[in-house]
Amino acid sequence: MKQYLILLVVLLLPFEAFALTADDVMKKSQAAFLYPGKDFKARVVMKLISEGGQERVREMTMLRKNYGAPGGEQKYFIYFFQPADVKDMTFMVYKYPGRDADRWLFVPAISMVRRIAAKDKYSSFVGSDFTYEDVSGRDLSEDTHALIKEDKYNGKDCYVVKSAPKAADMEYSYKLSWIDKTDFLPIKEEYYDKRGELYKVFTADEIKAVKGFPTIMKRTMKNLQSHHMTQVTYLKADYNIGIEDNLFSERFLKQPPKKWIE
Amino acid sequence: MRKFSLVKFSVEHPKLIVILSVIVTLAFMTQFPKMRTDTNPKNMLPKTSEVRVWNDQVEKTFSLYEDMIALGIVNEKGILNPDTLGKIKRITDEILKIKGVAARDVSSFTTIDNVTVDNATLRVAPLMTDVPQDQKGLESLRKMLYENPLFINRIISKDGKTAAIYIPLEKGANGKEIADKIREIIRREKGDEKYYIAGDPVARDTFGAEMFKLMAVFAPIAGIIMLFVRYLMFRDLFLSITLMMDAMISIVWSMGLLIGLGFPIHIMSSMAPVFLMAIATDSMHIFNEFYFRYRETRDKKKAIIETMQAVSRPVRYTALATAAGFAVLLFMNIVPVKVFGGLVAFGTISLRILSFSFIPAMFMFVKEDKIAKIAGAEDISMGKSSQFLIRLAGFGANHPKNTVIVGLVLFVIALVGLSRITVNNNLVEWFKKSSDVRIADSVMNKALGGTSLGYVVAIAKDDDYIKTPEAMRYIEGLQRRLEKLPVVGKTTSVVDYVKRINRVLHDDDPKYDAVPENKEMIGQYLFLFSMSAKPSDLDNVVDYPFRRANIWVQLKTWDAQAMKSVIEAADEYKKTNPTPMDLKPSGIAYFNLVWNHEVLWDMVKGFVLALIVVFGILAFDFRSIKWAVVGYTPLLFTILLIYGVVGFTGKDFDMPISVLSTLSLGMAVDFAIHFVSRLRQRRKEAPGESLSDALLWTAARPGKGIMRNAILFAASFAVMMFAPLTPYITVGAFIVSMMLLSAIMTLIYLPALVTLMQGWLFSNGESK
Repeated sequence: MKQYLILLVVLLLPFEAFALTADDVMKKSQAAFLYPGKDFKARVVMKLISEGGQERVREMTMLRKNYGAPGGEQKYFIYFFQPADVKDMTFMVYKYPGRDADRWLFVPAISMVRRIAAKDKYSSFVGSDFTYEDVSGRDLSEDTHALIKEDKYNGKDCYVVKSAPKAADMEYSYKLSWIDKTDFLPIKEEYYDKRGELYKVFTADEIKAVKGFPTIMKRTMKNLQSHHMTQVTYLKADYNIGIEDNLFSERFLKQPPKKWIE
Repeated sequence: MRKFSLVKFSVEHPKLIVILSVIVTLAFMTQFPKMRTDTNPKNMLPKTSEVRVWNDQVEKTFSLYEDMIALGIVNEKGILNPDTLGKIKRITDEILKIKGVAARDVSSFTTIDNVTVDNATLRVAPLMTDVPQDQKGLESLRKMLYENPLFINRIISKDGKTAAIYIPLEKGANGKEIADKIREIIRREKGDEKYYIAGDPVARDTFGAEMFKLMAVFAPIAGIIMLFVRYLMFRDLFLSITLMMDAMISIVWSMGLLIGLGFPIHIMSSMAPVFLMAIATDSMHIFNEFYFRYRETRDKKKAIIETMQAVSRPVRYTALATAAGFAVLLFMNIVPVKVFGGLVAFGTISLRILSFSFIPAMFMFVKEDKIAKIAGAEDISMGKSSQFLIRLAGFGANHPKNTVIVGLVLFVIALVGLSRITVNNNLVEWFKKSSDVRIADSVMNKALGGTSLGYVVAIAKDDDYIKTPEAMRYIEGLQRRLEKLPVVGKTTSVVDYVKRINRVLHDDDPKYDAVPENKEMIGQYLFLFSMSAKPSDLDNVVDYPFRRANIWVQLKTWDAQAMKSVIEAADEYKKTNPTPMDLKPSGIAYFNLVWNHEVLWDMVKGFVLALIVVFGILAFDFRSIKWAVVGYTPLLFTILLIYGVVGFTGKDFDMPISVLSTLSLGMAVDFAIHFVSRLRQRRKEAPGESLSDALLWTAARPGKGIMRNAILFAASFAVMMFAPLTPYITVGAFIVSMMLLSAIMTLIYLPALVTLMQGWLFSNGESK
């Protein structure tokens, strides 16, 4: 018995030594996906498409600045161009590891800033199929990750990681992520509901290097149950542009500086 | 005569005929495993029908669900206590796991979004994430519930004793199966709470399941009763079974054909076997006559051929009339009505082919001495029942004027009743008052906004019009107007959300519980709402380009008429308050209104057409319009009387009753055909006999067949009156009274009319 165990350990050793663990893969992926550069700016078009083919368009400039290492604090500033009647609306998020983000919204029609407290876990991001968590990420420690296989997706070698939330308050029971072995971007994610049925699929449809950072320029989130989907396209993207700290303030929320939002 | 030769052939080769019948029957039976059922009333109208196309479009535009189950939880001591709330949370969690439930849009305390304000912070969260354990937590929950008009009468009743969970179903999910799973979940909970499951899919699918169960139980019971009554009449088991087989074979043939052609069995076609069993009783006349003939000739073969000769004409024409009565349904608009008509018409024709082949063939297998024994009991003058029939007919023949005057009085009364008939249909009322479905529905309708759902869609000409304050105010006004109707419990629209956001943005100041003053505000509030709630909440009430708004109208009754009053109120509101928007009804309540109306009027149209066709057949059969008029009178009279009674009792003229009208016609005409044909035949065979003697003979001999037919029929359908579903009770009561009444009408009024109008009837050469 004993010698078999030893044999098994020996057999496994080389793999253990060279292969990444699931936690390592997810950590690298988080850094590549949500934290590249010191800061980031993108002109984003979001199309919400209903089952019947109706479309709602949101167009915005999104600014992000990192505070600390990947997995740490971040601030977001969003300015809306579309829909037309919300032009000049702005939205700010302070994201903290380990607790819900703080959010502020400026409503231009009544010239009023309001703080919004909502659960990142299930709140939809501006009515889309993405939740806040899908946009800004989720603490890696909230899930148990397991490397279940290696797979080829769209001709790319991937790790497939299963992440199951530790707490029961999530909409999904687990998620499968296909992580590209070379750039560590998630190129596909499958969400399974409490009944174990696949209901939401994320795909990275176009990837381009911007200032050396591989960036997902087009992505889709499809809800297989409601047949609703959201397509996100970055018209422009840039990194390390030197966003100042004072942008993320109530003052600029009311009067966003042109140079950052254009 | 071709038919005659078929009889002869059958009598000469009885074994061959029986074997052939068995082979054909087996061939049809091979189709049975392919059987599909369809209990959805939606399929009463084709997918391409205007209302379905429109409803589908509305469902797609507003991401709505076709079907929704409502679960009511009642605690007489109040819902807001940790124990009951814990149950709601547990039950909701379990419901979300049921397959077929659209989990993402289930509305319950733990899933419904609530936007509140607290220290200038908008808080967006499910109404209840964790069950509050202390008084403070419960108080704040109570406050949130009662301050938000979107919740009151929806997920909680005003008195706080009833809570509700709304469970939308994915397309194609079976409402009864899901309701059963919910029942399993609540069975695990202990305590004082009572649970009620309501909603259209539950009623509809429960009805469907019950219906098939009933058909499986009722049809055989009716069959056994028929067998038993026949045995009492003829004292021969073999012949009684033969008669039953006649019906069974035709049922197998027609159902086999239906299934083979790929049609699903629908609510209506599921009734076909019973109808065919009823129509098959017409072969009673063959037996009846056969025994008389046998007594006279004492030669089995000869008696059979003679019998068939004597009855072939009436039997053929009754079959033709019945088949035609149903075949006209083939020209109607509604597919299941067409299928039903074609099915029964085909079955009727098969029955007649069997009457001329299979039945005579089977007669050949009966031992002569046995027939002799039974036939001995058949004697016109001796039999008690024959005496009764003679007296009945004698009354009509001897007091024709009084009889007709009594008839006229009844006729006028029936007309008054007829004028009182209300056309309506209510799926929930197809269940008995004591049934779970009906109790759940009435409890929930009393406590909450209403279980039946209709929509009024406001359609503007331009995009973004819905965001204007004038559109918002218009919709708000319409809602208040509709809420004044007693049948409307609650209405919900995009305006309610905008008002809610307006108030919350202004620190919960009730002053702002109103439509904002400009379009920018409305647009931005709606955007804010879409950022804070489930996307579907907004989708359900407004379309993507903000051109159409959907007003939810919860109705407290399933009466098809309720939606009609909503439509009328909306039209009237539009007349007094002009708007560039169109208002169009939609939703399941609207669909129920439309299909009831369509099916009903299709049946009525079919009935009128059948009346004309049957009259034509009568006239053709009798070769005389005059005789057709006379033969037609008791038939019309019976139908009038019955519908008059329907009017007086206040019973709604609904789908089942309208279906019956064609059957009643097809059946009642048989009696007239038999009576008139045989009377005129008798006049030819016995020229010296006086008219009144001929009438009495007809009443006693073929009349016995008529009476036997009616009793047999009534006896077996009486079973239906014990069914748990009201349409079956209606059908049972209707058929029993119709058969007995039309038999009596035929036996009293035909002699009376013939006596009274003999001059007119026999004027052209026919012997007096």
